[in-house]
Parts: sequence; structure tokens; C-alpha cells
Amino acid sequence: MKILSSYSIKGGVGKTALAVNLAFALREAGRRALLLDLDPQGAATFYFRVASAEKFRMRDADSLAEGLRRNIRESDFPGLDIIPSNLGYRHFDILLDGMAKRRRQLRKVLEEFKPDYDVILMDCPPNITLLSENVFRASDAILVPVIPTVLSRRTLEQLAGFFRDEDLPERMLRPFFSMVQKRNKMHREIMDDLPASYPGFLKTVIPFSADVEKMGLHRMPLLAYSHASPAAMAYRTLCDEILSLAGP
Amino acid sequence: MGVRVHGKESVRLTLPGGLGPECLREEWDVDIHPQESQVLAFWDTFEWGLWFGGHILYSSGGAYHLCAREGGWPGAVLCEERTGTGPRFWRDFETGAMRSRLEGMLGLRGLAPVAEGTFRLRRCDVRNSTGKIVSRLEWSSVSAGKRRGEDLLHSCRVLPLFGYEAEAARVVEHLVRQGARASGDGPVEALLRHVGRVPRKYTLRPVFGLTMDTPAREAVGRIVRAILEIAERNVPGIVNDLDTEFLHDYRICLRKVRSVLSLVQDVYPAEETRRMRKILGDLARQTNRLRDLDVYLLAREEYLGLLPPVLRPALDGMFKDFSAEREREVRRTTSKMRAASTRRLLREVEEHFSPETQHEASPAAALPVGALVFRRIYKRYLKIRRIAAGIGAETPDEAVHRLRIEGKKLRYLMEFFAELFPKEEGALMLRQLRRLQNRLGEFNDALVQQRSMMNYWEQKRSGSKVALGVGGLVAVLYRRQQEARSLIDVALEGFCGGSTAAAFKHTFKLVSTPETEMKRSARQ
Repeated sequence: MKILSSYSIKGGVGKTALAVNLAFALREAGRRALLLDLDPQGAATFYFRVASAEKFRMRDADSLAEGLRRNIRESDFPGLDIIPSNLGYRHFDILLDGMAKRRRQLRKVLEEFKPDYDVILMDCPPNITLLSENVFRASDAILVPVIPTVLSRRTLEQLAGFFRDEDLPERMLRPFFSMVQKRNKMHREIMDDLPASYPGFLKTVIPFSADVEKMGLHRMPLLAYSHASPAAMAYRTLCDEILSLAGP
Repeated sequence: MGVRVHGKESVRLTLPGGLGPECLREEWDVDIHPQESQVLAFWDTFEWGLWFGGHILYSSGGAYHLCAREGGWPGAVLCEERTGTGPRFWRDFETGAMRSRLEGMLGLRGLAPVAEGTFRLRRCDVRNSTGKIVSRLEWSSVSAGKRRGEDLLHSCRVLPLFGYEAEAARVVEHLVRQGARASGDGPVEALLRHVGRVPRKYTLRPVFGLTMDTPAREAVGRIVRAILEIAERNVPGIVNDLDTEFLHDYRICLRKVRSVLSLVQDVYPAEETRRMRKILGDLARQTNRLRDLDVYLLAREEYLGLLPPVLRPALDGMFKDFSAEREREVRRTTSKMRAASTRRLLREVEEHFSPETQHEASPAAALPVGALVFRRIYKRYLKIRRIAAGIGAETPDEAVHRLRIEGKKLRYLMEFFAELFPKEEGALMLRQLRRLQNRLGEFNDALVQQRSMMNYWEQKRSGSKVALGVGGLVAVLYRRQQEARSLIDVALEGFCGGSTAAAFKHTFKLVSTPETEMKRSARQ
């Protein structure tokens, strides 16, 4: 089982669009996928028309695993399940803080789902907290959407710095370009230049697309309603690239 | 209500005729997908090996699908294969998954179509108020044959989505309120019933319904009739050459009937019994050569495996000859079996044993069968022990062969009358007997096969390459015969020794029997 996370310090970069469409592409590729929506905003949950998770008590790793398991919902697309978001997840940090080995608890919890899924994909809230650190330590790859702008470059540098400071494996960081407008000169320049500084930079580029923004209207992944659009094809290529990475 | 949704298991419901998925629209949004229609042909063996092995095999447009059987419903498809040539045996399939699953259930049996039906399916998605699918439905109906005829069964499968089981349960409840039922035939069962092909267990050892006090003639009559019926059921399979088991079983049946007539003597008038045994012997003899050829050809892979690879091609010619001869022999045998004269003989035997037929009196006809048979079983057991005691390393093969024949008679007797003695003890004795018979059988097979190979060689006198192959095979078979011979001692010990002997004595040795009483009084 592979554990992937869709993560960015910065919001509005296509993080949830990645989580939702990558999860869909994974099931298209025959992988049993579980999407865990950790973002209290619950956008991924909304896209799959699933109600918020029921509240459950998060006292320790066991009750957390049990609560998550009870909240698994089968999506409308066979082979893709989702654990919906819950406002209660904002207390994750407090919960984790009280635990022994508090930086590694999430990995232990997710191991429980190993027999049922080939891939677990987490959609993470855009901040750096104890939960994010758990996500980093639990993931086999951390997928970071980067819009080719100066600001995005800066947050990617911040993230890489955090990894170095906390002694996290930097090779897990898998940035890729998202919401790219080829006609934009700055986009082109940053794209020429940035990947050289990050050995794990993925090759696939997700283009900007108005279709992606319509996911809110359709309430389903782009790949489900606009099967052959350029952005949908790009997500599939990205999925293939991720699956071909030699993971642990 | 009695119908519950457990976890992700689906619920299958039988529906009243007019009920459609539209009835759910009172409570849910329902997307009804376009109707799909498919003609499916169902396959199984004469013994319903797939059905009773918990599977269903159907073909549609050249693709074969093997499913788990859930009652009378096809469950999940376990494997599928597209094949142009009509497969009959498990080895005719190509994919490993299909072959390995079928091998265990089919064995030597051939597949034949058992029914064909048209299945119409409408898939539906049931959505909640936010538009999320909470349950899927498969609404289906089945009719016999290729063209749409009278619907035999309307049914529906409710498939819950994980995490939405409660909603699926509500859907089921709603349908039950409209008259749906969780019990009843599934569509495949309904179709089979309609075409008169209800799966029925097949056995060469039926229950005859005997008691200790059943008069001997009635008991033997019942046994003979039941076994003749099995023989008859095998005839169409032989005539159409569906697989080799039909002939094998037919011959066993004839042998068993002959056997019971000689083992339980004096039940019918002696002259009539002689005639019946002769007819049965003649009928069996018609098929001797075909069975021999079947045995050789079935052993082909085994024979080849006995030889080093370099010698294997040498046997190709021999098996080709056997194959060609088998084709001729099938034509000859089946035309004989179809012939009026053969049918007449079989009729004559059937009529002779019909309950309506009156026979002259005979000494043992009215005796209670239990005591009569127990005495014979025990006598025969003692006889085998006597022969066994004289068997050593130097004993000629013929004596070992005699032991096997006696063992076979005892086995038939015990199997015919197994209803009369306690199951557990019977199982123990029969297990020991079968073990011994297997060893003796291996010995005998190796011996007979050497002779057959030599006969083939004598007749053909073909090139030296074939001679090399046949010679190699005979050498290995001789070695096998010797090995089998050395194992017979162990099996004999088990069969003649302590606990088995005690079980035979305890079960079958009667202090006094009506028969002994009768003899004693006759002497006085």
C-alpha cells in the first residue's frame, strides 16, 4: 500500500483538485483507493456529495483508527472510497500532542487500512502543524502543487527548509506545476528554472482549466464529467508518473 | 421482515410481475439505465459437478464466464475466457485460472449445454437528497430460449454501498412492502426448472431403503432396479460420446448387477439367474475394447511422464494408433448399443426384475435379507484372510489377482447392504478394504498394461523406434508392479489384522441365523 498526500502551505493552488482527480485516476488504473479528507473545509468531501463525517472520540491511536474506519463511505465510483472531512479534525493537533511518539501516530493508524486499499491519498489543510508533520512522516510521497509564480516558489522553499530543519526526508517532496498558463511569460520562466533545485520535481504539468473550476457545479471529479479534456488527460499522466515512482 | 443487509453483501429478491424500479421514486431519485439483454447458455456435466461444486458456467457470444453460485443466482464472475472452439473438457480452456478451477470440479467429465435463456437487466442508481448514490439495483427478468418468451422470474438485486447499508436496508424494506420476497428460486434455477433440468445428485451408490427384515428377493430386486436405472441414464452419454465416464459407469453398473445376483444366490430361480448374468456379461463385453482404449488414452500423459524425454516421441505412433482405433470402436460400440437387439436385451433384464413380474419360488427368496447377507459377508471376509495368509513373496501373480477379485466381491456386497450396518464401523471396514483394493488394483493395472503394450508390439511389429518406447514403458511398468506388490503386505495387515477383524466379527458374525436354523432343521 502506498500513502500519498496532497499538500501545500499556500491555499488555492489546486491541492484539492489534485486529491479528487488523482483518486479518480487511481481507480481508473485499477487501484483500490481511499481518499482521506483532512481539510476541515471539506471541499473534497463536497465534490463527492458525501455528508460530513460523524463525530467520534479521538482519545488514542485505536479509537482514531476505529472512528476513521466507521466513517468510510463508498463513492459513486466503485473502487474509490472516501473518509469525509469533519470540523472535529481541527482538534487533531491537540489529540496528537497528547500521544507518545506524537509525530508518527498517523502512519500507525493508516497501516490498519493496508489490507483494503492499494493507495491512501490524503487531502491536507494548508498549514504547517503537528498534523502536517504526521502527514509528512506517514507519506511515501508528498505531492505539492506549485503555480509557477514567485509566491509559490517562496512557499516551496519554506517547505523544503522545514524538511531540512526537522530532519524529514526531502526526497519525499514531489512538487509539480499546477494551473499553468503557457502564454504567461513568468510561468514559462519559472518552469524553466525551478525544477533544477528540486530533484523530486515531477515532469507532468497540469494546465489551468475552467473545466476544473466547474467541479463545484457538477459535484464530481473532472475526470468523471470531462473525460477527455486536456486537464483530465494531464491528471491521468500525473497518476501514471506517480505510480511509476519507485516507492518504498 | 426477515430481510437484512449485512455489510456489503447484496440482497436478492424475487419480485411480483408488474413491479418496476419506478416504485422507488416515491422516496428516492432513481436513475434507470437502458435495458441490456443477453442470451446466456448454461453448461454443466452429467453429474452437475459445477452446480454442486457451488459454481455456474455460462457462455455468451463466445465468452465463457465461471461464477460462484449463490443459491439459484449467478454470483461474482471468478474468471472468464473467450474461446472460439467449443470447449468440452477443462483442458480445452486456455487460461490458468479457468483450468485450475474447472479441473477439480469436472475431472474426466465433459461439459454439455443444460439450458439457454434470455436475461434482461436494468441497472438503477438510487440517490439521496444530495444526489449521492446510496444503493445500486439490478432489475432483471429471465425467459427460456433465444427469443423473448414468457418471463419465468422477475428479480432484483440490491447492492449497498459501503457506509450506506442503512439506506440499502430501507430500499429492501420498501420493496418487501410492495410484495418482494427474499426466498425462492433464483433466475438460473427457475430456468432449469422450466426446461426440466433440475440439478440432481448423481451417485453409483444409491440408497435402496432396505431393512434387516426385507425379504431377500425384494431387497435384491430393489438393488438391481436402482442400478439398472443408473446404467440406463448413462447410455445417451455413451452413444453421443460425451466423455469416457459414461461408459465406465455403465460397465460398473452391469458388473454390479451381475455381482449381486451371484453373491446373494437362490433369490431367483437358478436358470433365470444364469440367463440374466449371461445377458449382462454379453452387454458388458460389447464395450470391452472401447474401455481398454479409453484407459490407455487417458493414461497418455502419465505414460509419457514415465519415460525420459528422449524416448517420449517414440510412443506418438502408438497413441495415434489407439486414437484412430478408438474412433472406429466408438462407431462400432455405439451402433451396437443403439441396435434393437441390444435394447431388447436390456429391456428383458429390466422386465425380469420389475416388481410386477412373477417368478417361481426359490430357497432364499423370502428369507430376511439382513441375516443372509451378514453371513455371506463374514464368510467372504474369512475367505480373503485365508487367501491372504498364503500370500508371500513367491506367490504367483494369479493368486494375487484372485485376492483382488474376492476383495471386489466383498466390497460390492458391503456397499449394496451398507444401510444395514452401523455407519462408523462400516466406514472403518470399507476404508481398510478400499486401501487394500487400491494396492491390488495398482499391481494388477501395472501387470495388465505390460501385457497390453506387449500385445500392441506383437501385432504391429513396427519400427525400432516404437520398440524402444514400448520396451522402456514395459520396463517401468514392471518396476511399478513390483513396487505395488511390496505395498500389498502392509495393506493386508491392516485389513486382516486386529481392529478390522474385530469389527467384521462384531458386525457380521451372527450366533444363529434363520438360514443356519433352516439348514440345521433340514439335516435333522
